[in-house]
Amino acid sequence: MSTDVEEQYRATPLSDVPVSPPARRGNPWLPTFRGVRLVTRIELRRRRPSTKGYVFYGIVFAIAVGICILSAVLSPSELSSTNLELALILILGIGTLIAPSLSATAINGDSGEGVLAPLQMTHLTAGDIAIGKLLSSWLVSVAALLALSPFLVFAYLKSGWRIDELALTVLAILFVVLAFTAVGLAWSSIAARAVASVSLAHLTTGFFAIGTLVVYALVGTVVTDTVTQSDRYIDWETLTPEQSEALDDAYMTGDYTALDPNDYQCVDQEWTYGVTQTQKIAWILLLNPVVMIGETAPIVDPETYERDGRAAPGAFATMHSLVAGARLGPLEDVNDYEPFDECAQLFGDGQAVEEQTQEEMEAEWAEQEARSAAYEQQRANLDRAPWLGLAVIGALLMGSTVVVIRRLRVPYKKLRTGTRVA
Amino acid sequence: MTIMDEAPPITGAITARGVERSFGSVRAVEAANLSVSHGKVTALIGPNGCGKTTLMLMLSGLLRPDAGEITVAGADPRTDAAAVRAAIGWMPDQLGSWDNLTCLQTLTLMGEAYRIPRTAARSRGAALLERVHLGEFANRPARVLSRGQKQRLSLARALVHDPQVLLLDEPANGLDPRSRVDLRLLVRELAAEGRAVLVSSHVLAELDAMVDDAIFMSKGRTLGADAAAMVADARLKYRIDALDPAALRAALIEGGVDFEPTETGAITRIADEANAARALGWLVGRGVEVHRFGPVGSALEQTYMAMNEERR
Repeated sequence: MSTDVEEQYRATPLSDVPVSPPARRGNPWLPTFRGVRLVTRIELRRRRPSTKGYVFYGIVFAIAVGICILSAVLSPSELSSTNLELALILILGIGTLIAPSLSATAINGDSGEGVLAPLQMTHLTAGDIAIGKLLSSWLVSVAALLALSPFLVFAYLKSGWRIDELALTVLAILFVVLAFTAVGLAWSSIAARAVASVSLAHLTTGFFAIGTLVVYALVGTVVTDTVTQSDRYIDWETLTPEQSEALDDAYMTGDYTALDPNDYQCVDQEWTYGVTQTQKIAWILLLNPVVMIGETAPIVDPETYERDGRAAPGAFATMHSLVAGARLGPLEDVNDYEPFDECAQLFGDGQAVEEQTQEEMEAEWAEQEARSAAYEQQRANLDRAPWLGLAVIGALLMGSTVVVIRRLRVPYKKLRTGTRVA
Repeated sequence: MTIMDEAPPITGAITARGVERSFGSVRAVEAANLSVSHGKVTALIGPNGCGKTTLMLMLSGLLRPDAGEITVAGADPRTDAAAVRAAIGWMPDQLGSWDNLTCLQTLTLMGEAYRIPRTAARSRGAALLERVHLGEFANRPARVLSRGQKQRLSLARALVHDPQVLLLDEPANGLDPRSRVDLRLLVRELAAEGRAVLVSSHVLAELDAMVDDAIFMSKGRTLGADAAAMVADARLKYRIDALDPAALRAALIEGGVDFEPTETGAITRIADEANAARALGWLVGRGVEVHRFGPVGSALEQTYMAMNEERR
């Protein structure tokens, strides 16, 4: 039966193209430049948006440009870094939402679709596939950055930032996005189902962005010292009506000589308050990637910013000041406290404390204000501390990449539970 | 195909001895032994869940066996997994394609993944698409392909790097009759080029005409010589039906021929075609009114069924 067909088939010319792929030895896993580039190309091509997608991105881009023009017309002419900070936070937000979502389905999704194993059969190494998938997901969020670039350029012009400062912060943001993309990819290589890995990826991001603040608050209660102070007051409860009237009169007139100290009993009153030794736990705040990005932003001196050609302290500078405050620890020295002693004031030397003159009060206020300004300045100018955050982000990136490469290496020893190889 | 020019292969392209693999408490493959030679098509046959795909994955270097020894194209997947993978064209049982990419892009990129230069990979891809009759779909995205067309794209994908060993897992699934014939011819042709082909399928009648050897699997074990003997025996069986079955049987008894009686006649064993012709002439000469005379049918199917009966 088959012979007819066979002859017909053989009659068709076979234009077989000879190929000679290079031989392989061992079981390499390290990423190669060629392999990474090829996987990135494949992944980006697979994600290439449809016509509808391009229309959507076009609209987003147009809206971004529109907002820029609108705010250019409406915003005041003085420098303000708020717009730039808003744009940067937007890029961080979009980046940490989009890229990990994509990477968190890149391995278990491919495996479910049956397109991962054929790639693993080729000369591509586990490193090639891992890094290629990481870069392609990350590049999508870089594209989002490009879509928002008109806004960024516009906001930059009035921000009082220097271009190198902006570049540094944008790099820090892209680094954070890259690390959380890697985390998403790692979850994708561990969890069998896409729903689980996407949730876990976002939970991880959420833990570092919000969880660190919660942990900081919780640990704060542990490093809070309870300080007890005691003041002395006249015991009003035991006074007879005549005695309390006499005391009132004395307060009104300022003449305490008519009072007999023996008539007035003094009581101690204790009160406690907490002083959190934030300098011990400020490092928890520095783990936060948002804080880390804020720490890469330029320092704005609240006293001299106008002379320095900067805008007034914006969100990042404020965040830096708050974190610096935590790093410096509580302001007041507990031992400086002078207890209040009503009895001593009244009867100590038989003389009431003299009232301050107007000048003295103003001088004291001015001194207080100067002290607080100096403290503000000290906080604002405290050295920037992105290093711990950078180390954590770097460790996340490295660790996740190692996990992904290990999970992609074939022959598999172990499979994700509930999955097949292809 | 350079393989044919080399010295005739003595060792098998694929050998497996005592291969085992468990997933948790499930023993997917308990004892698998097989040998596949260059230039031959070998079938891997067994019921669903008997461990065929797991065994193929271990042979392909994607899954590490718990025990046993595997050699593919002279390389050991434990130490030289990349060499094993490079030598194999693997067509998985799971259909997967990059939906947004065209068929030609898919094959070109796969070729590049094997470090074939882009232009060569592209022309090879185009030639392969012609070979699996997908030429008109070269520039259409893979998502528009039907199931059978995706199956053929998957086969083309397994061939991009000119592998000397082919592992085809259920290649005939979802193919229309014409495509099955094409597949059979293509597989024979690939074997004729000196490649070793291991093919698993449920369409046993199709395999009969395609394969040189068969390996039966049941409950994670390969059935060796017994199953092979059953297949050899099944290939000898001829069905003879006559208008008068009793007369047929009487003639056979008279001639001293062993047979199994059936409702409409008898089944007997005849060594080859010349003997069959002589036997038919003899029966007709004896006045038996034979209206049907021929091989019983798929030898593999008979063996498979007999195997399953034993299991019950």
